[in-house]
Amino acid sequence: MGGALTRYRVIAYIVGVVLIALVVVGMPMKYIWDDPIVVETIGPGHGFLYMVYLVAAFDLGRRAEWPLSRMALVMLAGTVPFVSFWAERVVARWVREPQPAAS
Amino acid sequence: MKRLLTPSWIARHVGAVALVVAFSALGWWQISRAVAGNALSWAYAVEWPVFAGFVIFVWIREVRHTLRGDSPHTDSAPGPLDTAEPARPLAATGVAGPVGAPADARGPGGAAGIRRPVRAVRRTTTADEDPELDEYNRYLAWRNANPDARISDYPG
Repeated sequence: MGGALTRYRVIAYIVGVVLIALVVVGMPMKYIWDDPIVVETIGPGHGFLYMVYLVAAFDLGRRAEWPLSRMALVMLAGTVPFVSFWAERVVARWVREPQPAAS
Repeated sequence: MKRLLTPSWIARHVGAVALVVAFSALGWWQISRAVAGNALSWAYAVEWPVFAGFVIFVWIREVRHTLRGDSPHTDSAPGPLDTAEPARPLAATGVAGPVGAPADARGPGGAAGIRRPVRAVRRTTTADEDPELDEYNRYLAWRNANPDARISDYPG
């Protein structure tokens, strides 16, 4: 469980940072200054890192025996800029002190 | 089988089929884009079928959990559709096998996930028999009770 949580937290952090770079730097450059270089460079990279995030989240949820709804929630949380860091902390707390009902 | 035809399960079946169809269509769309010259689309053309396969995997996994009678859905945090479904105690599900068995060999703290039927092992050896055979029988009994454990985990 500890290993799965660490893997999840590492990839969640990486995906969160790349997502913020994309939203804070890439998007304004593309849509305001018409320079899509950042989006084109790190966009696909973020996509594939997010796949890794999905795998890590699924693996963690499987081990922690989350219901499917919670697993889906955690997976979706990785798509929201800034919120993903908070979600990662919440997930770490869930795993450390399991509370079976709420999700 | 009836457990897979509750309203919530029908919603899940429909959702799974819809996702598989949608992901397959997206994969096909990416193949057409890749053929048209977008090199990155080759990667996406692989990715979408993987997603579709993942949906099928999770679908089968949930179905099997439910048929075993210990799905996390049936005993915790039901979705809005689940409320119509009465809570079923494990013993009432009619599954032969894991009910009441001390099947949770997963260590402390872990709620039982996939339970496996555990056969009771009858000791047939008597005291005056070979202690080595006795020990071996103990070992076999342990192996039988803990089919997933590694040999190196044997405590004896």
